[in-house]
Amino acid sequence: MTRAATTKLGAYAALAGAGLIAALVLGRPEPAALAAPFALLLVVGLSLAERPRVGALFELDAERQVEGEPVEALLELRAENTVVQLELLFDLPRGLATEAPNPRILRLYAGDRPELEYPIRCERWGGYLVGDFVLRAQDRFGLLVYEQQLKLPRPLKVYPRGEEVERLLRPLETQSFAGSQTPRVRGEGIEFADLRPFVAGDRVRRVNWRATARRGEPWVNETHPERNTDVVIFLDTFAEARDRASGTLDLAVEAAGSLAAHYIQEKDRVGLVAFGGVLNWLTVSSGIVQLYRVLDSLLDTEIFLSYAWKDIDVLPVRTLPPRALVIALSSLLDERAVGALLDLRARGFDLAVLELSPFPFVEEGPSETEQLAYRLWRLRREGLRARYAARGVAIAEWNEGVPMEAVMEEVRGFNRHARVVRA
Amino acid sequence: MAAATLAGYPAALDLRLHALALALAALGLALLACGLLLRSSALLVWGLVAVGGEYSVLFAAEGSRLDAYTPLYAATFLLVAELAYWSIERRVEAWSENELVLWRLGYLLAVCAGAAALAAFVLVLAAAGGTGGAGLEAAGVTAVIGSLALLGLLVRRTAVDG
Repeated sequence: MTRAATTKLGAYAALAGAGLIAALVLGRPEPAALAAPFALLLVVGLSLAERPRVGALFELDAERQVEGEPVEALLELRAENTVVQLELLFDLPRGLATEAPNPRILRLYAGDRPELEYPIRCERWGGYLVGDFVLRAQDRFGLLVYEQQLKLPRPLKVYPRGEEVERLLRPLETQSFAGSQTPRVRGEGIEFADLRPFVAGDRVRRVNWRATARRGEPWVNETHPERNTDVVIFLDTFAEARDRASGTLDLAVEAAGSLAAHYIQEKDRVGLVAFGGVLNWLTVSSGIVQLYRVLDSLLDTEIFLSYAWKDIDVLPVRTLPPRALVIALSSLLDERAVGALLDLRARGFDLAVLELSPFPFVEEGPSETEQLAYRLWRLRREGLRARYAARGVAIAEWNEGVPMEAVMEEVRGFNRHARVVRA
Repeated sequence: MAAATLAGYPAALDLRLHALALALAALGLALLACGLLLRSSALLVWGLVAVGGEYSVLFAAEGSRLDAYTPLYAATFLLVAELAYWSIERRVEAWSENELVLWRLGYLLAVCAGAAALAAFVLVLAAAGGTGGAGLEAAGVTAVIGSLALLGLLVRRTAVDG
């Protein structure tokens, strides 16, 4: 523990000195009588002062938690000597909060091992190291102050909560592996597609006997096969719009987590591309392990300011498999992300853009010029949306507070009229 | 309130240097109030020095008679200093807990009682010394210088982080 004098120590020393000198100058005992208690307090206080020796153990009851849920933290202190007053501050990283009294004041006797519980509320997704404490102790007379920083880091991953989505975006084309998606093509499967006349080679079990009886000739059922899809979640991390509480990146990360969980549940393969100042990617794969890989990768997502020009050529080929559905979560604030998405579309990827609207985070200025600039900016963004739509990109604007289901429905509405065109 | 009582005691007496006592009392109280408002230790020290200085006016005006209220005055003076420094301490919510408040009040009571006893002891010692002489005066000077040196040494050695 580091030691420092309090302002009281200096003041009492000054008062004692002034009293003694006054007694000497005036030749009177009364100033000395006034100064004596201060002098004695200093002598006794400084002589009895002992550096506090406090050890600690820290544990969290979970290493992973979902945003909004609590985690219990337990701190066990071990006092080797008596500490009259110990201020204990639990220095939590931004995004975590505790409802327990913080800072606390404790009195510890030698050999005490108090256990302090801190219920932690996970307010924001992210990867944290929890366990920074500041101990501050004063001696009995408040003349000296001892400070110590205890670093007992424990990792805590807080996953974004995400939203429930009932219907996912369907890709234009599926992959060849079995899954839960019904493609537009027909083949061996369970899902009924159509009826057609019997041809040589058709299996008897596919004959639709009711249709056959009605038409007087054999007809068979046609079905859709069940296939899986490859979904690449494309996260634009070049720029974000945010206020104190939230931002477009928060919305994007929560949506990405939610989409990944839902697609993996449907046996699809999911990949992730965080495209920004720092490039981060995961090749497509399926299963619960992949879900955790995606979620862990999302926790590391942050806006990293960079002026380096990047296009999608920097991505490894396997991160964007052919016939993959690319769902882009972007605020479309950075030209590089805008260009990369248009490039993806130009390369024939099935692209859906969920545009995270920056408008709720940007206030219109008070002056006429600022208002004009704001309106122009809005117009330019509408123009950008029209540009995407003209290139066959399903795009929907997502404002904070609007359910993801509604935005997905808007994209689905666009895709309903889409068809595959091959040059 | 304790500070006002302290400042009011010499100022209320019919002294030869009544105006000076009043001025020092007003200055002391003003500095203490400013120190509390601004949470400034330096202003508190100057306020306490001014209040103590006002008390010294009493001796300059009244001559050689010992003041019987000095122990009480010393205890109140220390109480004012303790309360003032308590007031400018960093605010921690947990300070309002009953156990801590009781401990603090007990501490205040103990140090004030100790201060009164010590001041009385110093006065008794001074009275026992009689009219004094060159030897006693030299011993007093040596004691004061020695005390100051000891205090300075102790403060410097202990306060600086080792």
